[in-house]
Amino acid sequence: MENISFYVDDKEVIIDVDPSTRLLDVLRIKLHITGVKEGCGEGACGACSVIVDGVCYDSCLTPVANVIGKHITTIEGFRNTPQYRIIADAFADFGASQCGFCTPGMILNTYTLLKKNPHPTEEEVRVALSGNLCRCTGYNAIVKAVLDIAENGGDIEW
Amino acid sequence: MPSNFKNSTVKIDNEEKMAGLALFTDDLPAKDFLWCRPLRSNIACGRIRSINIPKLPKGYYYVDARDIVKENVVNIIFSDWPVFADRRVNYYGETIGLLIGPDKEVLEELARMSQVNYDEETPEYELVNSQIHKEFKKGDFEAAKKDYDYTLTETFETGYQEQVYLETQGMIMWLDGDKITIKASMQCPFYIKNAVVRTLGCDPSKVRVIQPAVGGAFGGKEHYPSMMAAQMATAIVKIKKPLKMIFDRGEDLMYTTKRHPSRTTYEGYVKEGKLVGVKATVRLNGGAYKGCSGVVLSRALIAVVDSYNVPNLDVTGDVYITNTMPTAAFRGFGSPQTIFAFEMFIEHIAKKAGLDPVEFKLAHLVEKGMVTAVSGKFHDDIILPQLVERAMEMSDFKRKYKEYSQPGSNRGIGLSTFLHGCGFTGSGESTIINAQLKLTKDENDIVHLYTSQVDFGQGNRTTLKKVVSNTLGIPEEQVTHEAPDTDHTLSTGPTAASRTMIIVGFLCEKAAKHLKEIWKPGEYQEWIEPYVGPDYIHWDEDTMQGDAYPGYAWGVNIIEVSFDPITYQIKVEGCWSTYDVGHAIDDRIVVGQADGGLAQAIGYGYLENMEVAEGRFRQKTLSDYIVPTAVDLPMMETELMDNLFAYGASGAKGCGELTFVGGAPALGHAIEQAIKHDIHKIPATPEYLMEVIEHGKY
Amino acid sequence: MVKHYIPSTLKEALEVLDKHDCYIMAGGTDLMVVKHQRSGLIPNFDKDVCYISNLEELQYIFEDEKGVHIGAGTKFSDIEENELVPEILKQIIHELASPNIRNMATMAGNIANASPAGDSIVGLYLLDAELELVNINGSRMMPIKDFIFGVRKIHREKNELIKEIFIPHHDDLNTYWRKVGSRAAESISKITFAGGYEVENGKVKDLRMAFGSVSITCVRDRKTEEKYIGMSVEELHNHVEDIIKDMGKFVTPITDQRSTKEYRYKVAMNILKDFILTIE
Repeated sequence: MENISFYVDDKEVIIDVDPSTRLLDVLRIKLHITGVKEGCGEGACGACSVIVDGVCYDSCLTPVANVIGKHITTIEGFRNTPQYRIIADAFADFGASQCGFCTPGMILNTYTLLKKNPHPTEEEVRVALSGNLCRCTGYNAIVKAVLDIAENGGDIEW
Repeated sequence: MPSNFKNSTVKIDNEEKMAGLALFTDDLPAKDFLWCRPLRSNIACGRIRSINIPKLPKGYYYVDARDIVKENVVNIIFSDWPVFADRRVNYYGETIGLLIGPDKEVLEELARMSQVNYDEETPEYELVNSQIHKEFKKGDFEAAKKDYDYTLTETFETGYQEQVYLETQGMIMWLDGDKITIKASMQCPFYIKNAVVRTLGCDPSKVRVIQPAVGGAFGGKEHYPSMMAAQMATAIVKIKKPLKMIFDRGEDLMYTTKRHPSRTTYEGYVKEGKLVGVKATVRLNGGAYKGCSGVVLSRALIAVVDSYNVPNLDVTGDVYITNTMPTAAFRGFGSPQTIFAFEMFIEHIAKKAGLDPVEFKLAHLVEKGMVTAVSGKFHDDIILPQLVERAMEMSDFKRKYKEYSQPGSNRGIGLSTFLHGCGFTGSGESTIINAQLKLTKDENDIVHLYTSQVDFGQGNRTTLKKVVSNTLGIPEEQVTHEAPDTDHTLSTGPTAASRTMIIVGFLCEKAAKHLKEIWKPGEYQEWIEPYVGPDYIHWDEDTMQGDAYPGYAWGVNIIEVSFDPITYQIKVEGCWSTYDVGHAIDDRIVVGQADGGLAQAIGYGYLENMEVAEGRFRQKTLSDYIVPTAVDLPMMETELMDNLFAYGASGAKGCGELTFVGGAPALGHAIEQAIKHDIHKIPATPEYLMEVIEHGKY
Repeated sequence: MVKHYIPSTLKEALEVLDKHDCYIMAGGTDLMVVKHQRSGLIPNFDKDVCYISNLEELQYIFEDEKGVHIGAGTKFSDIEENELVPEILKQIIHELASPNIRNMATMAGNIANASPAGDSIVGLYLLDAELELVNINGSRMMPIKDFIFGVRKIHREKNELIKEIFIPHHDDLNTYWRKVGSRAAESISKITFAGGYEVENGKVKDLRMAFGSVSITCVRDRKTEEKYIGMSVEELHNHVEDIIKDMGKFVTPITDQRSTKEYRYKVAMNILKDFILTIE
């Protein structure tokens, strides 16, 4: 066990934990951030996505030692931002969320895409979301929602 | 907002799901709950000689068949699947017992140390042991086969398919006084309740099932949660501690139910450009226990000639029991298997007769008043020709079809037409399910709708509520529709069989009409509406004759693919669909079903390969069991056409399964045109296509 | 009891490795899968672990007159976006695993993992990449083709760490990349092929062919390549069947849960043919 510190949704966290513990388990079990989902436990579905220093990680494959000192944003922090509102409204308009299990991860990956590339092509959207499996929507509404933001979002500050 | 979603409203649970606020089973507070860890068989078939469990530390428990309170069966349609394996195991992974305790690590160690000794028997993996047989005839097939111009006999195979709901199976259970209370990832709260009541032999009032957020189901959570509930209930009456069982993805892939693999043979006869007779032999692999396979077989047989009229039929079907994981419900429930096979067959036999396969097919579309495969009648208007015409326009089908038929095009476009019977087979809705719906109105004139329909993503919490508010002519905000709780709702039946809108929606509408009639402002009022179906529906399950469903929904899929002759890989380039779901209560929700159903069907058609070796699935992870990603699919275009159904809410029929059944054959046709060879199997993996192209394999 | 070392400098890391036999944890995208038990349990490590993901000293990309130097800690997504990186490596990374994993994983990790299906390895074989291995006493260079000698087998001494991947300049090499996975993204390769060639005055000046996922290690054979160097392009095209025969000897795939050996062999040869015939 070791004292490990990092930031989650802008709050400093110091925990005594085995450094190989999955970040996912730290977030869900120790910090009760259940908005982060476990879909496969092997980095194949993206449901456990969190933002680590600006880019998305699969938290199921991240040993907590790898995020020492880093800033982690989960859906529970991100949902309070204006950027979340823009993405969530577009997702709602197009029906991009059905069962909702993949949605938090999908939204975080959408955000990191748009931050880097505010006007992506369809192909770029599909590639950016290719690690986030969705079994309900066929991705149709999701891709349309992201493209709609890209087209009609104007000059949003991502 | 997309302009074609005029009648759409945002789903009740949309925001909480997007924001990560919705609590799925594993998210629920469960402090001090004990973990349940199944001890599973590691052979496919044999007698259990002994079970040696290591000495359990304090606070740890083990339960198995010896702890069964009343009946060691899971209450599924045909109840032959034991809660815990009793003296013998019939498939690899069958649950023998549960190890229970607070620390997962310790449970793993106990499982490693546990030893089950068997007298192994030779397992059966082939389709030789038929345990369910059904057959029926229509017209005079024997006469038809004596007088023909062309004949063709072919066999088609379809593989396993795993649901891959993103949330794995999970359940928590605790005692509230002497009442067993359950929250789980589920489709059918009353199935779970009934399963617990049956295995414990307890009073129904002692079991309560509450639905939390559910992360997808697709049929996979119709029956399996009953198994988990029966196991955990057996444990909870013994140890009286709150319990929790959440499957990891690997367990879920290996040890929960799948779609039935099938092998279907058609023998067809063409006379003067018409398909005059078909003999069909349908074989399903049911796995180790029958469960719901008999009903799956019924659906497969009823859909045996899809949406086409064939005057003379000789149909038999069998469910074979093998020493493999039992197969059960999955979107389409048997019909995707035969619809794929028949769609391929009807085009193949047309080609053999030297006819244009698409024109041939369309000349055989069923029409209103015609006799169904099972000698019932198509009572309602059928708008298939309009659906076909519009889908062809949307996709520029005719031009592309001609162009891609040229040698070396490496491109193909395929069209399928299909139907899906909505609701339970025959008069089952009136005779077996007997749904009853409760609507109350409180003193503030807020209307409360109670159903047992689970919203696992389809949006039925929203659409059913809309039916009520639309009928009452009040704002949607004036109606509540909470997730089911068996203590608060009557059973409106399972969330299955595309019955939610056609049956429960209809009930909602009727109940709301009645409430409107008796409406007294400021007073508490209650209305209970029993389901009464069309009185002209008569069905005999034994002879497989009569009107199989209350109503049918219809669809057309067109899929375009490109083919890479270097790698034998297929890329889906375009998808166009038209559907008659009666009337969409919410266009966005129905189109969402259309997108997702077709995507899942495309995966079924060419990607999702699941094989059994020595009784075990070889694809154990989501890196090996391949479902489509965003890059594997193109934009999909869908249009809906109204064709109001008299016994549906505002004319609505079903749509959940309809959107799945036609995808694989449309894809199959496209692949055939692109590779210039016939195919007889799905998933049409590149490995299979290589065999077809290079070695003329079937 | 397994110990975890989280050094904050390269020097500290090398001191740890000098004293302890450790798993080296970079992005974790492979080790965390291999050692995963069940949800909620800590991974099942059977020896000590040394975490190097946060060593900033290992995160760099620069170029000198000889080639491009990629620090072992550089994440795939940073490599993909860097203009100094050869185009074929960018192409390979673009199709490798998923975006999230590309944000986490390192090329050095992909190499050290030494899976036959490690995509970046194939490109590095093609480009004659070399690895700088360091220990507390100093460093040594080793060609990647000598470093990997089997499935998950590498010539790393227990006290060593891959510090850097060095890619010699290949400014005139035309490259060809093909990955065959089970789907269009996020897939483990069934077959990969990286090809390279230079043509000068109608003659083949250089020819390179590297396969992944079809043998225990990446397949590349300089002797075979040299046989065809010096030919005219037309001659090369005429020898395509001979090249297939020569390279086919090294292509010994297996049947597993992802594909069949027949498919892997046939498609590998189809791709090779396509590569040769596209040379002009």
